[in-house]
Amino acid sequence: MPFDFATAAIGVRTDIRQLFRREWDRLAQAGTWWNGRERVDIARAARRSRFGGEEAPSSLPSAAIEAAGIVSGRPASIRREWVATVADDLGYPRYVEIVGIASRLAAVDTFHVGLGVELEPLPDPESGEPSRSEEPQARAGAAWVPMVGGASITQALSLVDAESVAQEDLHGPLYLTYEGMAEFDYVGGLSRAQMELVAARTSAINECFY
Amino acid sequence: MLAHSQMLRVSAEVTTTPLDPRSITDRAIDPLLPHGTVLLDFVDAVLEQSDRSAARTELLEALGPTGLVDATGVIANFEMMNRIADATGMPVGKGTLKRTAEWRTWIGIDQLNHL
Repeated sequence: MPFDFATAAIGVRTDIRQLFRREWDRLAQAGTWWNGRERVDIARAARRSRFGGEEAPSSLPSAAIEAAGIVSGRPASIRREWVATVADDLGYPRYVEIVGIASRLAAVDTFHVGLGVELEPLPDPESGEPSRSEEPQARAGAAWVPMVGGASITQALSLVDAESVAQEDLHGPLYLTYEGMAEFDYVGGLSRAQMELVAARTSAINECFY
Repeated sequence: MLAHSQMLRVSAEVTTTPLDPRSITDRAIDPLLPHGTVLLDFVDAVLEQSDRSAARTELLEALGPTGLVDATGVIANFEMMNRIADATGMPVGKGTLKRTAEWRTWIGIDQLNHL
Protein backbone atom coordinates (compact mmCIF):
# COMPACT_ATOMS: atom_id res chain seq x y z
CA MET A 1 0.00 0.00 0.00
CA PRO A 2 1.38 3.47 -0.82
CA PHE A 3 2.54 5.71 2.00
CA ASP A 4 3.02 2.98 4.59
CA PHE A 5 6.37 4.57 5.63
CA ALA A 6 7.61 1.06 6.43
CA THR A 7 11.25 2.14 6.28
CA ALA A 8 10.82 5.24 8.45
CA ALA A 9 12.55 5.09 11.83
CA ILE A 10 9.40 6.41 13.51
CA GLY A 11 5.67 6.01 13.07
CA VAL A 12 3.76 8.46 10.90
CA ARG A 13 0.30 9.56 11.97
CA THR A 14 -2.58 7.77 10.30
CA ASP A 15 -4.18 11.04 9.20
CA ILE A 16 -1.05 12.00 7.26
CA ARG A 17 -0.81 8.59 5.57
CA GLN A 18 -4.48 8.77 4.59
CA LEU A 19 -4.05 12.35 3.43
CA PHE A 20 -1.21 11.44 1.10
CA ARG A 21 -3.15 8.47 -0.30
CA ARG A 22 -6.05 10.78 -1.06
CA GLU A 23 -3.65 13.21 -2.72
CA TRP A 24 -2.33 10.38 -4.91
CA ASP A 25 -5.89 9.41 -5.84
CA ARG A 26 -6.56 13.02 -6.82
CA LEU A 27 -3.35 13.22 -8.80
CA ALA A 28 -4.20 10.13 -10.83
CA GLN A 29 -7.73 11.21 -11.68
CA ALA A 30 -8.92 13.74 -14.22
CA GLY A 31 -8.90 17.20 -12.70
CA THR A 32 -10.63 20.39 -13.76
CA TRP A 33 -8.49 21.24 -16.81
CA TRP A 34 -6.02 18.35 -17.20
CA ASN A 35 -6.80 14.62 -17.48
CA GLY A 36 -5.22 11.99 -15.24
CA ARG A 37 -2.34 11.21 -17.55
CA GLU A 38 -1.53 14.89 -17.92
CA ARG A 39 -1.70 15.45 -14.16
CA VAL A 40 0.73 12.62 -13.51
CA ASP A 41 3.00 13.99 -16.24
CA ILE A 42 2.86 17.41 -14.55
CA ALA A 43 3.94 15.76 -11.31
CA ARG A 44 6.72 13.89 -13.12
CA ALA A 45 8.06 17.12 -14.64
CA ALA A 46 7.81 18.84 -11.26
CA ARG A 47 9.64 16.05 -9.44
CA ARG A 48 12.33 15.84 -12.11
CA SER A 49 13.01 19.56 -11.70
CA ARG A 50 13.78 19.06 -8.00
CA PHE A 51 15.36 15.63 -7.89
CA GLY A 52 16.61 14.97 -11.42
CA GLY A 53 16.05 11.74 -13.32
CA GLU A 54 15.63 10.75 -16.91
CA GLU A 55 13.28 12.66 -19.18
CA ALA A 56 10.23 10.56 -19.99
CA PRO A 57 7.77 10.89 -22.87
CA SER A 58 5.09 13.39 -21.89
CA SER A 59 1.54 14.09 -22.94
CA LEU A 60 2.02 17.77 -22.10
CA PRO A 61 2.67 20.86 -24.20
CA SER A 62 6.14 22.30 -23.63
CA ALA A 63 4.76 25.33 -21.75
CA ALA A 64 3.17 23.03 -19.18
CA ILE A 65 6.38 21.06 -18.69
CA GLU A 66 8.30 24.29 -18.22
CA ALA A 67 5.72 25.68 -15.80
CA ALA A 68 5.69 22.52 -13.68
CA GLY A 69 9.49 22.54 -13.55
CA ILE A 70 9.83 26.18 -12.55
CA VAL A 71 7.04 26.17 -9.95
CA SER A 72 8.61 23.07 -8.44
CA GLY A 73 12.30 23.83 -8.74
CA ARG A 74 12.75 27.61 -8.92
CA PRO A 75 9.62 29.25 -7.49
CA ALA A 76 11.45 32.34 -6.20
CA SER A 77 12.47 33.16 -9.78
CA ILE A 78 8.86 33.53 -10.94
CA ARG A 79 7.80 36.98 -12.09
CA ARG A 80 4.53 38.46 -13.31
CA GLU A 81 5.65 38.62 -16.96
CA TRP A 82 6.52 34.92 -17.00
CA VAL A 83 3.12 33.98 -15.51
CA ALA A 84 1.40 36.09 -18.15
CA THR A 85 3.37 34.37 -20.91
CA VAL A 86 2.50 30.91 -19.61
CA ALA A 87 -1.14 31.96 -19.31
CA ASP A 88 -1.09 33.15 -22.92
CA ASP A 89 -0.11 29.61 -23.92
CA LEU A 90 -2.19 27.56 -21.49
CA GLY A 91 -4.80 29.87 -19.99
CA TYR A 92 -4.86 30.88 -16.31
CA PRO A 93 -6.99 27.92 -15.13
CA ARG A 94 -4.57 25.33 -16.55
CA TYR A 95 -1.64 27.23 -15.05
CA VAL A 96 -3.30 27.36 -11.63
CA GLU A 97 -3.95 23.62 -11.75
CA ILE A 98 -0.24 23.08 -12.47
CA VAL A 99 0.63 25.26 -9.48
CA GLY A 100 -1.67 23.19 -7.30
CA ILE A 101 -0.26 19.85 -8.43
CA ALA A 102 3.40 20.93 -8.24
CA SER A 103 3.07 22.62 -4.85
CA ARG A 104 1.29 19.69 -3.19
CA LEU A 105 3.82 17.28 -4.66
CA ALA A 106 6.55 19.42 -3.10
CA ALA A 107 4.86 18.97 0.28
CA VAL A 108 4.53 15.20 -0.09
CA ASP A 109 8.08 14.74 -1.38
CA THR A 110 9.65 17.01 1.24
CA PHE A 111 7.88 15.06 3.97
CA HIS A 112 9.63 11.94 2.70
CA VAL A 113 12.99 13.68 2.46
CA GLY A 114 12.59 14.95 6.00
CA LEU A 115 11.95 11.49 7.39
CA GLY A 116 14.69 9.94 5.26
CA VAL A 117 12.51 7.59 3.23
CA GLU A 118 12.34 6.99 -0.52
CA LEU A 119 9.93 9.10 -2.55
CA GLU A 120 6.63 7.40 -3.26
CA PRO A 121 6.37 6.29 -6.91
CA LEU A 122 3.87 8.39 -8.83
CA PRO A 123 0.47 6.76 -9.32
CA ASP A 124 -0.77 5.24 -12.55
CA PRO A 125 -3.14 7.66 -14.27
CA GLU A 126 -6.84 6.87 -14.44
CA SER A 127 -9.09 7.46 -17.40
CA GLY A 128 -11.64 10.24 -17.54
CA GLU A 129 -12.10 13.72 -18.87
CA PRO A 130 -11.49 17.02 -17.05
CA SER A 131 -14.63 18.69 -15.71
CA ARG A 132 -13.68 22.06 -17.30
CA SER A 133 -15.67 23.70 -14.55
CA GLU A 134 -15.35 27.47 -14.86
CA GLU A 135 -15.20 29.74 -11.82
CA PRO A 136 -17.38 32.68 -12.90
CA GLN A 137 -16.71 34.76 -9.77
CA ALA A 138 -12.93 34.87 -10.22
CA ARG A 139 -11.52 38.27 -11.11
CA ALA A 140 -8.12 39.69 -11.93
CA GLY A 141 -6.75 41.71 -9.04
CA ALA A 142 -3.57 42.55 -7.22
CA ALA A 143 -2.14 39.04 -7.60
CA TRP A 144 -0.88 37.56 -10.87
CA VAL A 145 -3.75 35.14 -11.44
CA PRO A 146 -7.51 35.71 -11.12
CA MET A 147 -9.02 34.78 -7.76
CA VAL A 148 -12.38 34.72 -6.05
CA GLY A 149 -12.84 37.50 -3.51
CA GLY A 150 -9.59 39.37 -3.92
CA ALA A 151 -5.94 38.51 -3.37
CA SER A 152 -5.53 36.31 -0.31
CA ILE A 153 -3.29 33.34 0.29
CA THR A 154 -6.30 31.22 1.25
CA GLN A 155 -7.87 32.09 -2.11
CA ALA A 156 -4.70 31.79 -4.21
CA LEU A 157 -5.93 28.74 -6.17
CA SER A 158 -9.62 29.65 -6.10
CA LEU A 159 -9.74 30.02 -9.88
CA VAL A 160 -9.76 26.20 -9.86
CA ASP A 161 -11.85 25.26 -6.84
CA ALA A 162 -10.74 21.60 -6.68
CA GLU A 163 -7.11 22.71 -6.37
CA SER A 164 -8.01 25.15 -3.61
CA VAL A 165 -9.83 22.41 -1.70
CA ALA A 166 -6.94 19.96 -2.12
CA GLN A 167 -4.46 22.55 -0.83
CA GLU A 168 -6.54 23.28 2.26
CA ASP A 169 -6.87 19.54 2.91
CA LEU A 170 -3.08 19.26 3.25
CA HIS A 171 -2.67 22.47 5.22
CA GLY A 172 -4.49 21.31 8.34
CA PRO A 173 -2.82 17.96 9.06
CA LEU A 174 0.67 19.13 8.07
CA TYR A 175 0.50 22.45 9.96
CA LEU A 176 -2.73 23.95 11.25
CA THR A 177 -6.21 24.56 9.91
CA TYR A 178 -6.97 28.14 8.93
CA GLU A 179 -9.12 28.42 12.08
CA GLY A 180 -6.40 26.84 14.21
CA MET A 181 -3.91 29.48 13.10
CA ALA A 182 -5.59 31.89 15.53
CA GLU A 183 -4.33 29.81 18.50
CA PHE A 184 -0.95 31.33 19.27
CA ASP A 185 -0.50 29.29 22.44
CA TYR A 186 -1.20 25.96 20.68
CA VAL A 187 1.03 23.07 21.74
CA GLY A 188 1.24 19.75 19.88
CA GLY A 189 4.44 17.88 19.09
CA LEU A 190 5.90 21.38 18.85
CA SER A 191 4.83 24.63 20.47
CA ARG A 192 3.25 27.21 18.17
CA ALA A 193 6.39 29.35 18.39
CA GLN A 194 8.52 26.37 17.39
CA MET A 195 6.19 25.68 14.46
CA GLU A 196 6.47 29.29 13.32
CA LEU A 197 10.25 29.23 13.61
CA VAL A 198 10.27 26.22 11.27
CA ALA A 199 7.76 27.89 8.92
CA ALA A 200 9.70 31.15 8.77
CA ARG A 201 13.06 29.47 8.24
CA THR A 202 11.59 27.30 5.46
CA SER A 203 10.27 30.45 3.79
CA ALA A 204 13.63 32.21 4.22
CA ILE A 205 15.50 29.38 2.52
CA ASN A 206 12.89 29.34 -0.23
CA GLU A 207 13.28 33.13 -0.55
CA CYS A 208 9.52 33.61 -0.25
CA PHE A 209 8.78 37.12 0.97
CA TYR A 210 5.09 36.65 1.57
CA MET B 1 8.12 34.62 5.36
CA LEU B 2 6.85 37.97 6.56
CA ALA B 3 3.52 36.53 7.66
CA HIS B 4 5.02 33.68 9.68
CA SER B 5 7.82 35.74 11.17
CA GLN B 6 5.05 37.88 12.64
CA MET B 7 3.13 34.83 13.83
CA LEU B 8 6.38 33.70 15.44
CA ARG B 9 6.66 37.04 17.22
CA VAL B 10 3.07 36.92 18.46
CA SER B 11 3.28 33.29 19.61
CA ALA B 12 6.49 34.02 21.54
CA GLU B 13 4.94 37.11 23.13
CA VAL B 14 1.70 35.34 24.07
CA THR B 15 3.59 32.49 25.73
CA THR B 16 6.42 34.69 27.11
CA THR B 17 8.94 32.52 25.31
CA PRO B 18 12.41 33.96 24.68
CA LEU B 19 13.13 34.62 21.00
CA ASP B 20 15.60 36.34 18.73
CA PRO B 21 13.83 36.38 15.32
CA ARG B 22 16.96 37.48 13.49
CA SER B 23 17.97 33.81 13.68
CA ILE B 24 15.47 33.16 10.88
CA THR B 25 17.81 34.79 8.40
CA ASP B 26 21.12 34.74 10.27
CA ARG B 27 22.19 31.35 11.51
CA ALA B 28 25.01 32.86 13.55
CA ILE B 29 22.36 34.20 15.95
CA ASP B 30 20.93 32.01 18.71
CA PRO B 31 17.12 31.83 18.32
CA LEU B 32 16.79 31.54 22.15
CA LEU B 33 13.58 29.59 21.66
CA PRO B 34 13.69 26.16 23.37
CA HIS B 35 15.24 23.65 20.93
CA GLY B 36 15.31 26.42 18.34
CA THR B 37 18.80 25.66 17.11
CA VAL B 38 17.98 21.97 16.64
CA LEU B 39 14.86 22.91 14.68
CA LEU B 40 16.72 25.37 12.46
CA ASP B 41 19.46 22.81 11.84
CA PHE B 42 16.81 20.32 10.77
CA VAL B 43 15.13 22.75 8.36
CA ASP B 44 18.49 23.61 6.82
CA ALA B 45 19.41 19.94 6.47
CA VAL B 46 16.12 18.99 4.82
CA LEU B 47 16.09 21.89 2.35
CA GLU B 48 19.78 22.39 1.71
CA GLN B 49 20.88 18.76 1.60
CA SER B 50 23.39 18.93 4.45
CA ASP B 51 23.73 16.07 6.95
CA ARG B 52 20.08 15.12 7.22
CA SER B 53 20.64 11.99 9.24
CA ALA B 54 22.51 13.79 12.02
CA ALA B 55 19.99 16.65 12.13
CA ARG B 56 17.11 14.17 12.22
CA THR B 57 18.69 12.23 15.08
CA GLU B 58 19.30 15.42 17.07
CA LEU B 59 15.71 16.53 16.62
CA LEU B 60 14.42 13.09 17.55
CA GLU B 61 16.47 13.14 20.76
CA ALA B 62 15.35 16.67 21.62
CA LEU B 63 11.66 16.57 20.77
CA GLY B 64 10.79 12.90 20.26
CA PRO B 65 9.04 11.22 17.33
CA THR B 66 5.99 13.47 17.54
CA GLY B 67 8.19 16.55 17.36
CA LEU B 68 10.08 15.14 14.39
CA VAL B 69 6.89 14.33 12.48
CA ASP B 70 5.36 17.72 13.29
CA ALA B 71 8.50 19.62 12.25
CA THR B 72 8.65 17.65 9.01
CA GLY B 73 4.99 18.38 8.39
CA VAL B 74 5.47 22.12 8.88
CA ILE B 75 8.41 22.18 6.45
CA ALA B 76 6.34 20.20 3.96
CA ASN B 77 3.38 22.55 4.30
CA PHE B 78 5.49 25.63 3.65
CA GLU B 79 7.18 24.01 0.71
CA MET B 80 3.65 23.95 -0.68
CA MET B 81 2.57 27.41 0.47
CA ASN B 82 5.77 29.18 -0.61
CA ARG B 83 5.33 27.83 -4.13
CA ILE B 84 1.69 28.88 -4.22
CA ALA B 85 2.51 32.39 -2.99
CA ASP B 86 5.38 32.84 -5.46
CA ALA B 87 3.60 31.30 -8.45
CA THR B 88 0.43 33.36 -8.00
CA GLY B 89 2.17 36.63 -7.13
CA MET B 90 0.55 36.92 -3.74
CA PRO B 91 0.99 40.54 -2.65
CA VAL B 92 1.61 41.85 0.84
CA GLY B 93 -0.86 44.64 1.55
CA LYS B 94 0.32 48.24 1.71
CA GLY B 95 -0.85 48.57 5.30
CA THR B 96 1.12 45.51 6.33
CA LEU B 97 4.19 46.76 4.53
CA LYS B 98 3.94 50.11 6.30
CA ARG B 99 3.29 48.53 9.69
CA THR B 100 6.17 46.04 9.44
CA ALA B 101 8.92 48.24 8.00
CA GLU B 102 11.00 48.29 11.17
CA TRP B 103 10.47 44.57 11.77
CA ARG B 104 11.53 43.67 8.22
CA THR B 105 14.66 45.74 8.49
CA TRP B 106 15.53 44.19 11.84
CA ILE B 107 15.22 40.59 10.64
CA GLY B 108 16.57 41.33 7.17
CA ILE B 109 13.89 40.11 4.77
CA ASP B 110 13.24 43.05 2.44
CA GLN B 111 15.65 41.70 -0.15
CA LEU B 112 13.23 38.82 -0.75
CA ASN B 113 10.44 41.11 -2.00
CA HIS B 114 10.36 40.66 -5.78
CA LEU B 115 6.76 41.63 -6.39
